[in-house]
Amino acid sequence: MKARLILASTLIPLGLIIAAVPENTTKPYKLTADELLEEVKSGTQFIGPDQVADMVISKDRFLQLIDVRSAAEYEKFNLPNSINIPLVDILNTEWEGYINQDVKLNVFYSNGTNDANQAWMITRQLGYKNNYVLQGGLNYWAETVLNPEAPASTSPNEEILKYNLRKGAGMALGGEAAETAPSIDAPSAPKPPVQKRAAKKPVQGGC
Amino acid sequence: MGPLIVNEIISQNTNLFLAFIIGIGFGFVLEANGFSSSRRLAGMFYGYDTTVLKVFFTAAIVGAVGLLFMSLFKWIDLSYIYINPTYLWSTLGGGVIMGAGFILGGYCPGTSFCAASIGKLDALAFIGGMFIGIFIFAEGYPLWENFYNAKFLGAPLLSDYFGASRGLLTFLIILVALGMFWVGEWAEKKFAREDYKLNQ
Repeated sequence: MKARLILASTLIPLGLIIAAVPENTTKPYKLTADELLEEVKSGTQFIGPDQVADMVISKDRFLQLIDVRSAAEYEKFNLPNSINIPLVDILNTEWEGYINQDVKLNVFYSNGTNDANQAWMITRQLGYKNNYVLQGGLNYWAETVLNPEAPASTSPNEEILKYNLRKGAGMALGGEAAETAPSIDAPSAPKPPVQKRAAKKPVQGGC
Repeated sequence: MGPLIVNEIISQNTNLFLAFIIGIGFGFVLEANGFSSSRRLAGMFYGYDTTVLKVFFTAAIVGAVGLLFMSLFKWIDLSYIYINPTYLWSTLGGGVIMGAGFILGGYCPGTSFCAASIGKLDALAFIGGMFIGIFIFAEGYPLWENFYNAKFLGAPLLSDYFGASRGLLTFLIILVALGMFWVGEWAEKKFAREDYKLNQ
């Protein structure tokens, strides 16, 4: 009898307290500063524009491009099938379903890499997975994918092959290369059509 | 910071060592509460001794309150806590088999080892029967595989089902548990046996 009274007088107040306080839903930080610095130094968060272009063209349904620039900039220009989550808005719970998931491969992009990197760092620290950054941002994208610079005809074959791939990607994605179809005088380099990479390498690093 | 093992604060080996210590503690508490007596355990079903209900429900509500407070103080991340997945039919079937064995044999698996360790022969017989059951289950697995895996529900939580917070649900369970303790002690008086004395 007495034991029950002691039990009741201890557990009922504790139960009342735990029922009244809001649930602790904060997620603890997943990375120490050192670990984060290590990731930043090794650049595991970056995905090259070639790989992204390849995924866009092959309509990879696991790719989710996320434009972290302002809505106005997004209206002006955006990559195909991208969504707009302005950096200032990234913690809005409305977007949580997009950035905290483990199905798609999210690629943040901005004009350069600053804003996209900041978005990545925030989501990384929250412990979200599958978020990456478009290497070089839209500027580098325009340079490499939309308007690739033709290599000199004396360049090594790989360079020319890469250029052809990029040019094909640029055409598919509506770059300027679509307007002209320059012939390259590089007899040693056969001109391959845009081809999907047979085996897609999993993204290096990350989780 | 917790769970310690997931966050690699302690190693796998330390984990096993702690499990060993906790296991000894668990066995000690079972034995100290008289759980090595099949009469006491079977008393739960006849109502003359409800210690089993009281001990296990006390453990459950103390554990629940403890976990929620540790979560509140950020000592543990509850999303890392493993919740046993529910396969509805095998849970029900297993419950019936376990309950029938409990009444017939007077032990549950853990307490049978507890009783065997203090030298009870009926507990040894119970353990023998348990191994026969394990053998039949394993060898006949293809026969009941479908039943075993049927109606998978994931890891449902009562708090999600009722749309209540975990804290509120825990408080309600505390009230229910205390109510059951009261009913249990009422039953102990009502179904008391002359040849059985409650040792408390």
